[in-house]
Amino acid sequence: MKTAQEFRAGQVANIDGSPWVIQKAEFNKSGRNAAVVKMKLKNLLNGMATETVFRADDKFEPIILDRKDVTYSYFADPLYVFMDAEFNQYEVEKSDLEAVLPFIEDGMTDECAAVFYDDKVISIELPNSIEREIIYTEPSVRGDTSGKVMKTARLSTGHELQVSSFCEIGDSIEIDTRTGEYKSRVKA
Amino acid sequence: MRATWDIFCRVIDNFGDIGVTWRLARQLSQEHNFSVRLWVDDLQAFQRICPAVAMQVDWQTIEGVQIARWYDEFVVTADLVSADVVIEAFACQLPESYIDLMRSKQKVLWLNLEYLTAESWAAECHALPSLQAGGLQKYFFFPGFTEQTGGLLREAKLLDLRDALQRTELRAQFLATLDVQVKADERLISLFSYANPSLLGWFEALSSDSKINHLLVLQGPALALLAQYFELPELHGKQIYQRGNLKVQVLPYIQQEDFDRLLWSCDFNCVRGEDSFVRAQWAAKPFVWQIYPQQEDVHLDKLAAFLSIYNKGLSSDVKAVLEDAWLAWNTAGDIGRAWPQLIKHEESLQKHAIQWSAQQRKLPDLVTKLACFYQDWL
Repeated sequence: MKTAQEFRAGQVANIDGSPWVIQKAEFNKSGRNAAVVKMKLKNLLNGMATETVFRADDKFEPIILDRKDVTYSYFADPLYVFMDAEFNQYEVEKSDLEAVLPFIEDGMTDECAAVFYDDKVISIELPNSIEREIIYTEPSVRGDTSGKVMKTARLSTGHELQVSSFCEIGDSIEIDTRTGEYKSRVKA
Repeated sequence: MRATWDIFCRVIDNFGDIGVTWRLARQLSQEHNFSVRLWVDDLQAFQRICPAVAMQVDWQTIEGVQIARWYDEFVVTADLVSADVVIEAFACQLPESYIDLMRSKQKVLWLNLEYLTAESWAAECHALPSLQAGGLQKYFFFPGFTEQTGGLLREAKLLDLRDALQRTELRAQFLATLDVQVKADERLISLFSYANPSLLGWFEALSSDSKINHLLVLQGPALALLAQYFELPELHGKQIYQRGNLKVQVLPYIQQEDFDRLLWSCDFNCVRGEDSFVRAQWAAKPFVWQIYPQQEDVHLDKLAAFLSIYNKGLSSDVKAVLEDAWLAWNTAGDIGRAWPQLIKHEESLQKHAIQWSAQQRKLPDLVTKLACFYQDWL
């Protein structure tokens, strides 16, 4: 059994006898020792989607699914297409990619994992750490080299995140995909 | 037939949990005519805020609410049935045997009443279902300050009673019941706080103020600090301690209705936790909130979230001093330095407190929202 807060997007839990894939999970501290996890779930048997909240310590049985290494190939509206080493193509719906969508971009070479249920890809997992280029940010703040002062930066996908104030347009940054947070500037 | 409600309250510490659930239970019973049973694991804490509570009995009825002692080992007797609506207050864990009772009943609405926060995620989680085994229907209910949340506890007559007290002789009469006599040129302040060593600096600031500050101290850790400040082993009720322009009077444990009257009567309130925080807002008086401290300082996010909505409408300089004072109060900062800056804006803060209370009054209260949620669910 795993607690609600241990589940990540893309994983599947057995809830009340049905397999539910977690499309998005947000942890929030509530008060004292209480915490809640808001999840977007999709029932793998009937396709029904729901938003739900759990106490962070609610327990569920994880369902272990098959995984295959894939890379992103192209977007064929409304499907995202990934390919494995044998050139098999896998189509994934946008709703199944919600948690990783901010980091899916043309030309990306990250080794991803396609997660299967009933021979169908139900989600894509990115590596824990990826590199992306900043396409826009305000000019650097002179003198700040501590990395503690943050500013907003935009990626090619349009996704915005907080980065150190010394980062500039064209810089590559390392991102933790589990939290979606900036980790560091990648030295050229 | 009246719908039945069970409310489960586990007293973690202090009086916030029982304070909120007792108000909730009474209001559900008295204003919405539900049959309400309140399960409490600590009758001693309950008795402090409601002297009518008898310690020796397992079942009793007070003000129309059935009170049940909640033992760690929850025994399901043959005549015990689940209520139509079950509230687990502040994520207290319901007894497994009671959950079995809920499963055996055809239709039960299970609500997890959460802590109050102004953080935006609470509105996003409010009223969402929580999938449960065995077909049980559970929802999260978040109190809050906006239309998108569950609202705040506010009894139907509360603000009329407040207005009556604040505008008439009732204030002086009430204060007299506490042996408090306050002169027109004195500032009356209530203090209800968690441990906070930097209060010593605040006492000094009150003492050196140009105006007399009459401080009414409720039972709690501040008493030990005041004893230290006056260099005494302890402070006693019925006596006034004075240094400079600081006058201190210790109050006994008081019941909820009197606590409200106290907040309405004071010129400034220092409150803590959740229940008194909400009551201070209904008092429509300037206040400072000591938030329940949490690990990794997550309570400071909660504090900032509230300030960001409470501060709207204040001028930038008043906003700045208010934030500075509240932060000092909650981070063992220099309250002695922040206080004179804050109190300079007493008039603006007073006007703002009235506006805030009036603004919140326009929203449906928590119990009305709960009752509507139940009706919609049916």
